[in-house]
Amino acid sequence: MSSTNLEAFFAAITGVLGADGVNRSEETIRRYGENTMPGGDRPPAGVVYPGSTADVQLIVRAANTHKIPLYPISTGNNIGLGTRSAATAGQVVVDLGRNMNRIVDIDEKLAFAVVEPGVSYQTLYDELVRRGNKLMLDVTSGPPQGGMIGNALDKGAGYSPYFDHFGFSCGLEIVLGTGEMLRTGDGTLDAKDLINWHTSKYSFGPILDGLFTQSNFGIVTRMGVWLLPRPPAVRSFHFTFPDDDDLETIIELCRPLKLSNFVPTLFRVSNDLYLCGSEGESPEYRASGGKRSISDEGRRHLRERHRLGAWNVSGAFYGPSGAAMEPQIHRVRDMFMQGGKARYIAHEEAAAIPPLQTAINAFSGVPSVGELGLLKWRPGGGNIWFAPGTPMDGRVANEFQRLCRKIYQEFGFDYTAMNVCSARFARGLHVITFNREDADERRRADACYRKMSREVAARGVFVGRAPVDYHEFHMAQTIPAFRDACSGIKAALDPNGIIAPGRYGIVETTAR
Amino acid sequence: MQTAFSLEQLAQPTIAEADGILKTCVHYGFCTATCPTYVLFRDENDSPRGRIDLIRAMLEKGGTPDAKTVLHLDRCLSCLSCVTTCAVKVDYTHLIDIARAHIEDNYRRPLSERMLRRMIAELLPYPRRFAFALRLARLANPLAAFLPARARNLIELATGWPAAGEILRPRIYPARGMRKMRVALLPSCAQQVLDRNINAATIRLLQRHGCEVVVAAGVGCCGALPLHMGRQMQGKALAGANIAAWSVKMANGLDAIVVNASGCGTTVKDYAHLVGGEQACRIGALTRDVTELLAELGLSHGSAQPYRVAYHDACSLQHGQGVTAQPRKLLAQAGFNVLDVPERHFCCGSAGTYNLLQPDIAVALGQRKAAHIDSVDPDIIAAGNLGCMVQIARFTQAPVVHTVELLDWGTGGPMPSALRDRRLRNPAARAAQAAQSKTAASPPPVDPNPTAVW
Repeated sequence: MSSTNLEAFFAAITGVLGADGVNRSEETIRRYGENTMPGGDRPPAGVVYPGSTADVQLIVRAANTHKIPLYPISTGNNIGLGTRSAATAGQVVVDLGRNMNRIVDIDEKLAFAVVEPGVSYQTLYDELVRRGNKLMLDVTSGPPQGGMIGNALDKGAGYSPYFDHFGFSCGLEIVLGTGEMLRTGDGTLDAKDLINWHTSKYSFGPILDGLFTQSNFGIVTRMGVWLLPRPPAVRSFHFTFPDDDDLETIIELCRPLKLSNFVPTLFRVSNDLYLCGSEGESPEYRASGGKRSISDEGRRHLRERHRLGAWNVSGAFYGPSGAAMEPQIHRVRDMFMQGGKARYIAHEEAAAIPPLQTAINAFSGVPSVGELGLLKWRPGGGNIWFAPGTPMDGRVANEFQRLCRKIYQEFGFDYTAMNVCSARFARGLHVITFNREDADERRRADACYRKMSREVAARGVFVGRAPVDYHEFHMAQTIPAFRDACSGIKAALDPNGIIAPGRYGIVETTAR
Repeated sequence: MQTAFSLEQLAQPTIAEADGILKTCVHYGFCTATCPTYVLFRDENDSPRGRIDLIRAMLEKGGTPDAKTVLHLDRCLSCLSCVTTCAVKVDYTHLIDIARAHIEDNYRRPLSERMLRRMIAELLPYPRRFAFALRLARLANPLAAFLPARARNLIELATGWPAAGEILRPRIYPARGMRKMRVALLPSCAQQVLDRNINAATIRLLQRHGCEVVVAAGVGCCGALPLHMGRQMQGKALAGANIAAWSVKMANGLDAIVVNASGCGTTVKDYAHLVGGEQACRIGALTRDVTELLAELGLSHGSAQPYRVAYHDACSLQHGQGVTAQPRKLLAQAGFNVLDVPERHFCCGSAGTYNLLQPDIAVALGQRKAAHIDSVDPDIIAAGNLGCMVQIARFTQAPVVHTVELLDWGTGGPMPSALRDRRLRNPAARAAQAAQSKTAASPPPVDPNPTAVW
């Protein structure tokens, strides 16, 4: 990429979008380049702000003309997964979130919304409340300002029956690497009124939607998302367990309740630090200089202070009233209490324990900021999310718990994990919080992530979502045929390799 | 964030405090999405994260700040939305106050700005002076069209609010029935000059709920207005006077200090930081927003008609004090149909003296807020801070009242004066009309969420 090309590209974009459509100021470049990963910041060449799908097409075509790599982002901060910084320094960030932030449609009868990339969970929640709060969207327990399209395309998830954000999306609009616009689902029909675009994925032809998850084949500019009729009442239940190895029992208890769908929400099975960590800095960090994991004694103190256990289980029922759901709560309570180790925490008591209130909000489709406190467990702001998954087999899940806990300790970090349990699979959200201003901690955090990734991979487990810095590393863990297939698709849909080279490990050179 | 203060600088308590705060910022940027000025301008320097960088550079350099820094820091509303959102809980509240004081002490503003700021600081915190100025403004109102924009804005804001004021005299209002609590009321300086109904409703409501209400001699402005303009000494002096006045009453027992202007409440609760000392700590701990106290006491039987009430969260109440549930719960208990509005975390642009000092941004935010409120089709708008009420009323047709006025009305008090000459839609008639339209229309509107499915 020559500077002449870059100047010509920005001149072309300024000519079309106006001066407000481009920002190359020092402050902006610094901000968009910030990264919480051990590798540090990666400043872009500039930022462009399209206002429509047509603008995105113009940007992509200009990038093809001038051979400029683009890096599209939606909205939110992506802390723990690479922030908003590009895959490599010098790419041009396409910030879709600033101006493409419209809720295109809400169909109250068929319960779906159509959103642009800048629509956050909070924005759609606000609009649904404004319309009478009859429909509920599934939210993450992360930042309310997170983007719905970005999360769905990165295979993000929530906790309600509509937890699978990609699975409950329907109908995409995409600008391909060539600048062509593609519609998926029933939007493929060459017709004016696409009444099934956001209601059906399964009409004629291959389902292309999945190609645009965790890939760099196109820029998604519109997505349909299905919504759940809001239940009149949400009643949560919670259990604490005292020992680390109780995870095996917990998983065995959760599985049948999810296989049968008796419990409609996913189970949040969080360890002590995942919950207590959102309530303040590690009490032992300063004393150890960040070199050691928190002691068992320190963990015990935290659990007592916050009335929590080594593992903490949360789920919820939906129904017409709290009273109507009492029989279900009783059945779940009986099952969990039969081993004699669990302590039951009722909905009202949980509402007064902030980390459990975060769970209640998540089950209720209410965006909240409570879990963000996890990011201050250690000073310095470094944060990596490690997201492998295990089958819902208690013995296997517990083996992985022991393995990862040991690796955290080996590198002087604090095992912080939540297993989000569905019927057959649990995604393990592991947080590595480290001091980004300490070179030794940065190095150890990186080594910790890589070692855990390798160890779980050796046991047949892959990560679900991964920080941008590790995309190439994870792609190298796949079979050659998969990499070849990705490269072939990249070459077909983005022949000049201008969209997010390096993102998800699908690189321009591979494409060629 | 790393800082580079010299040891000499760090020997100054304010710099040491700023240093500690600055080091907690890790630049995640969650604050940007919820910062009103960043959303308006999309300029990093108009975001909390950017401002923190500017403050660091300004304080490290010391001396006269540059005009660019002053511009961006002046644009900060101190709405504290960033504090709610911040993952690492940077104490931006006190950092921006330190920065404002530094600017006030080290930067010479243009003459017109100096005059405006001085006038605000010398008039608004003092009820009698402000009442006199308000009379002058009303006399000048017919000439407003011929005045410069800024003076026009001042007169519009000063005269636009229709209610009359009443400066409360020191007095004890007895509890009705058995006394449950003895509380002191902060009458709030500008509020009592602009709108007597708020204090009157508060006193009636508290009396009806078993509170003896004390208006203590010597209590005046809480100090927030000068404090947020960088005039720390004036703010501390006003706070000190209040502490002395309430201390006299505390000798005879005081269960709470009640505040019905949320901007003041945030400041009084923070007296321990502002003034320091044991008594300031005690007063801060005793202080409650009126809705916090009523929630503790339990609202008596509510008999209000289910009017659609859009509740506006004043920033100082939701971000400054974390009080969001109580007002909604009380209004619902009183019988109203409480509506949340989109972007409830966003400032309306009032922000203390902000709509006097930054009129253009304030108008943009006020219009945005009013449009969101109007979008929920309210009969009435309620807020817990007069500043917000005045600001929102500029941009909407719906009547704006204080939360306590509705709670008072809903529990046996008079109808708020702002509603008396309004033709409110009758909730029962509205329901009947909706039912009729359901039967008349063909096919009937579909309820996507019929309760029967659950």
